Amino acid sequence: MERVAIEKKVLSENDRIAQALRQQFAECGTLVLNCISSPGSGKTSLLERTLEGFPPDTRVAVVTGDIQTDNDARRLARFGFPVRQITTAGACHLDARMVEKSLQGWDLGRLDLLLIENVGNLVCPTSYDLGEESKIVILSVTEGDDKPLKYPGAFAKSRLMVLNKIDLLPYVPFDMEAARRNARSIHPDMEIIETSCTSGSGLDTWRQWIGERMRSRALKPS
Amino acid sequence: MHEMGIAGSVIDAVRVEVTRRPGARATKVGLRIGEWCGVDVESLRFCLEVLVKDTELEPLAVDIDFRAQASDLDIAYLELEE
Repeated sequence: MERVAIEKKVLSENDRIAQALRQQFAECGTLVLNCISSPGSGKTSLLERTLEGFPPDTRVAVVTGDIQTDNDARRLARFGFPVRQITTAGACHLDARMVEKSLQGWDLGRLDLLLIENVGNLVCPTSYDLGEESKIVILSVTEGDDKPLKYPGAFAKSRLMVLNKIDLLPYVPFDMEAARRNARSIHPDMEIIETSCTSGSGLDTWRQWIGERMRSRALKPS
Repeated sequence: MHEMGIAGSVIDAVRVEVTRRPGARATKVGLRIGEWCGVDVESLRFCLEVLVKDTELEPLAVDIDFRAQASDLDIAYLELEE
């Protein structure tokens, strides 16, 4: 019997494409954010409100993933920015190759921000690097405040947690303090922003957060 | 939910190694799976079993080193016999 060391990442092909994308994004100065959450946490609503607040000359585009339908792309296209839908036809996550293909024909040099809306799923998308600068996890208050403990991967790998639908707090038994504590027990440096896409609360802070990352991206030497 | 895709990538990598060593057959593959990579170990074992069944790789033992608070998703080693 012979044992050979392989020491290879299972997703090495995905990681190779993701690294190439990351380099391309860096060269073009495009900030790429990969938004992850369970279905129904308000990813599309948050992106709608985000696009709505941008001046028309903002160089932003969106790639949105779903298992079926282009409903989200149609919702997001109303704001006049370029939007592409990836329909995964069964796959529960986006992978780097899907993102690479969806970008064909877009001049990244003319994009300062690319928002990726992953398939609604808190588990599988965490395994697949898309070449993003940061992952963002969205948790809504109609879910459990212990979700960071139940799905630690998504929270461990995300730079920012958006606590969404806070206008519903009076009606649901969601403990904000417990949610923050649970998220930081998994990821001590987790940044947290509280938002409501209905009342608009917190959206300025969210936009400022994106703006700061875009500026730091632009200042970074290539 | 994506364990089948992961299992497929593992099997592809095993086949590449076996092809490099004519006359050898793979007996065991060693994987490192971190808690944070979103892979269910039992489901992955099942998917590997399904993919190996009735192929030249059957039987293939699977050794999984599960790591808490880690993001590993690696093929660590392969055992072969002549």
